[in-house]
Amino acid sequence: MLYVFVRAVGGGTDVWMRLLQTRLWSLLANTLTLTLAVTAGTLILGVCMAWLTERTDLPGRTVFRWMLALPLAIPAYIGAIVHLALLRPRGGYVPQFLDWLLGHPVNTPSPLGFAGASFMLILFLYPYVYLLSGAAFRSLHAALDEASHLFGRNNWQTLWSVTLPALRPGLTAGALLVTLDILAEYGTVTLLRYETFSSAIFVQLSGRYDRSAASVLSGVLVLIAIIALWGELRMEGKAQYTQLDSSWRHAPPIRLGPWRFPAFLLVSGVCFASLIVPISVLAAWSIQAFSNQQLLSQVMQSGSRTILNFAFNSLWSAGLAAFLAVTLSLPVALFAKRYPGKLSRVISRLCQTGYALPGVVVALSLVLVVNRALPFLYGTSFVIVIAYILRHMPQAVRASEAALTQISPSMEEAARSLGRTSIQSFFQVTLPLILPGLLAGGALVFLTSLKELPATLLLRPAGFDTLAVRVWIWAEEGFYTQAAPAALLLILASVIPLSFLLKREQIFK
Amino acid sequence: MIALEVHNLSKSFDSVLPAAVSDISFSLERGEIIALLGPSGCGKTTTLRLIAGFERPDEGKVILNDRIMADRTTFVPPEKRGISMVFQDHALFPHLTAKQNVLFGLNKQPKTAAQEKALGMLRLVGLEHLSERYPQELSGGERQRIALARALAPNPIVLLLDEPFSSLDADMRVEVREQVRAILKASRATAVFVTHDQEEALYMGDRIAVFRKGKIEQIDTPQQIFHAPNSRFVAEFIGSTDFIPGEVVEQGIQTEIGMLPQFTKLPSGTKVEIALRFDDIQFKPQAGSKSLVLERQFRGAYNIYRLRLPSGNLVHAMQPHISFFKPGTPVQVSFVSDHPLAIFRNGLAVDY
Repeated sequence: MLYVFVRAVGGGTDVWMRLLQTRLWSLLANTLTLTLAVTAGTLILGVCMAWLTERTDLPGRTVFRWMLALPLAIPAYIGAIVHLALLRPRGGYVPQFLDWLLGHPVNTPSPLGFAGASFMLILFLYPYVYLLSGAAFRSLHAALDEASHLFGRNNWQTLWSVTLPALRPGLTAGALLVTLDILAEYGTVTLLRYETFSSAIFVQLSGRYDRSAASVLSGVLVLIAIIALWGELRMEGKAQYTQLDSSWRHAPPIRLGPWRFPAFLLVSGVCFASLIVPISVLAAWSIQAFSNQQLLSQVMQSGSRTILNFAFNSLWSAGLAAFLAVTLSLPVALFAKRYPGKLSRVISRLCQTGYALPGVVVALSLVLVVNRALPFLYGTSFVIVIAYILRHMPQAVRASEAALTQISPSMEEAARSLGRTSIQSFFQVTLPLILPGLLAGGALVFLTSLKELPATLLLRPAGFDTLAVRVWIWAEEGFYTQAAPAALLLILASVIPLSFLLKREQIFK
Repeated sequence: MIALEVHNLSKSFDSVLPAAVSDISFSLERGEIIALLGPSGCGKTTTLRLIAGFERPDEGKVILNDRIMADRTTFVPPEKRGISMVFQDHALFPHLTAKQNVLFGLNKQPKTAAQEKALGMLRLVGLEHLSERYPQELSGGERQRIALARALAPNPIVLLLDEPFSSLDADMRVEVREQVRAILKASRATAVFVTHDQEEALYMGDRIAVFRKGKIEQIDTPQQIFHAPNSRFVAEFIGSTDFIPGEVVEQGIQTEIGMLPQFTKLPSGTKVEIALRFDDIQFKPQAGSKSLVLERQFRGAYNIYRLRLPSGNLVHAMQPHISFFKPGTPVQVSFVSDHPLAIFRNGLAVDY
């Protein structure tokens, strides 16, 4: 992985640096403003939603908990396709409807550019923050609130002086996930014509096929991502605020009183925009596609391949990546947890750097490395699987480490003292116990691999289409109705691992 | 017959820190229970893990039933040693039922024999009716007994118990430890028991080894440890002990609360310390005395008084529960002379 990074940076020369200098700054400004805006937006929206569903007597909060988390199954660019089709200044459904209603053209705000990109990304990335802060709200001890009240703070002051500071570890983790996702985001920003590092690298790679320029841009992008990762680790530090001891009680919900109605409207609005609108528009398009014989055949059959081929490609590549990532993460996690030391910490941290490698960068590095070192892999679909593994390995490592942390080393020692070798202890005791945790890690890798767009687009061999790729290609050409069934299928395939993951979370129990 | 021998065992984890265990030696008869007692960080758990084979000794030998388990050249892995262990957190496998947990160590026996043995063990610990429960569905005390049944089932040469009662609530601890000792004795198990609780060690151990900073300070029967501690450290650690200074004279030892008629081989004028427990001194009110009652602690069956002697030394004395003295009462303090007291010179016991 280090080699990949060095190659990416070393690929650039001073000449290219000078040539790119002017563009570099505008890209940097674009990327950073988008990152800051979306991270801030998701923090506000995510914490608001988590607070309302976890700490207040909001009506229907058990249903909302699920509805607010489900947008994770919708790739941001698919959401953006729907919203773009609705809001496009000319030809969008909403402007057309207003035109028909009022009898004259209405100027609606354009969803393209910075504002639109921020809006859509906030809408589809807030669940990360929502889930992490929801879990943190849930684990807070009632005594914290009570102590604060005894010292004379009211609800509002308690929220700011006790609750939110206690939430900080969850919030920084959520913010980091969002930040890294935005840095890696390709589909949405391209669709909305807002150029960031990732989309610029993609253009360099696919259009002009200019690897040196792409390398320089990648170097800067990875640097930003690593700074974000480092910042999170620094902020997280030793802070471990959430404690669950035997005397733990859930804090009683705060009464919203007259605010119940506006709060209900707000949460419904978020669910509407991020979940109901995309799903129902896609469903409507799908019905339209299925009722038109010619369109239907185009959906089902594209050249010699059918929609089942795309689905199958999606499933096996993501599934294989999930399986391999979890399998590879096990020795790393075992080493880090059972033999803690400098070396194991370094290895574990190295595996985390994949977080900081956006899909385009992974693709670029793989193109470079595979060409030189493993030419026989070039142009095969296995390169895509390798890209998924590199990119999503950190999730698998984190999940495996978390699962192993749950198991006290005395379990393994007990098996040893009852006559099992260390290998037998692993298979008879450790593995069955960490299996649910490993499955969760695998589900996460599967889910994110399924959605991965830029790396797949760049690395796929000719004719290898996944659902994500097909949806993107059709949508880019404007064939929305044709893309809808595949998009729905992709979302459906994501909902299964997602609901498995959500059921493991405290807030859905 | 000797079941376990430990010779000159040493282990250090970090070259900068003092050794966790240094030069530990003891041996254990078959059927005997030894309690390793000491404050936290004194090396008792490390000793246990060295016997189990979870750690490799730097120096010394571990011998089980005359077979060398660890020395400079050999190291037998834990699964081949014929030991078993009850862990501090019990370490019951949560994916197996109580019975399957007990069966786990019986995998080398034929199926029917193993089943019978497992049921027998569950009966021994009185939990036959819970054999299909999972560990999460058992109470702390029940888990404790299942862990014990699992450890005893394979007939280990030596059973190791690592602070097995520390995870139980205080009100259950006494009851469970009585059950455990009865089960150990009924199955004639040889056991090494680690604890930092002196009361537990006095109850459980046929012998007690008191650890201090990686070394064994004293190894003896509970009675000997209590009545004849061979160092000030052991006296301080076992029982609530106060110390007062004294000086050897011809008639015994002269102290600020009077003459202790106890003879030593030390020359006159030697400074010594005398260990005092609650019941070793008595007092009665006397106007004008320079010793004062500071505080009364009511313990139900009796009262413990904290007294200040003229020199400023603090001692504790026991009185019947009906005797009440107010703080500030001047009192006269004297020895209760029905048994010899432990005397120390430079921290070590003095022969008498």
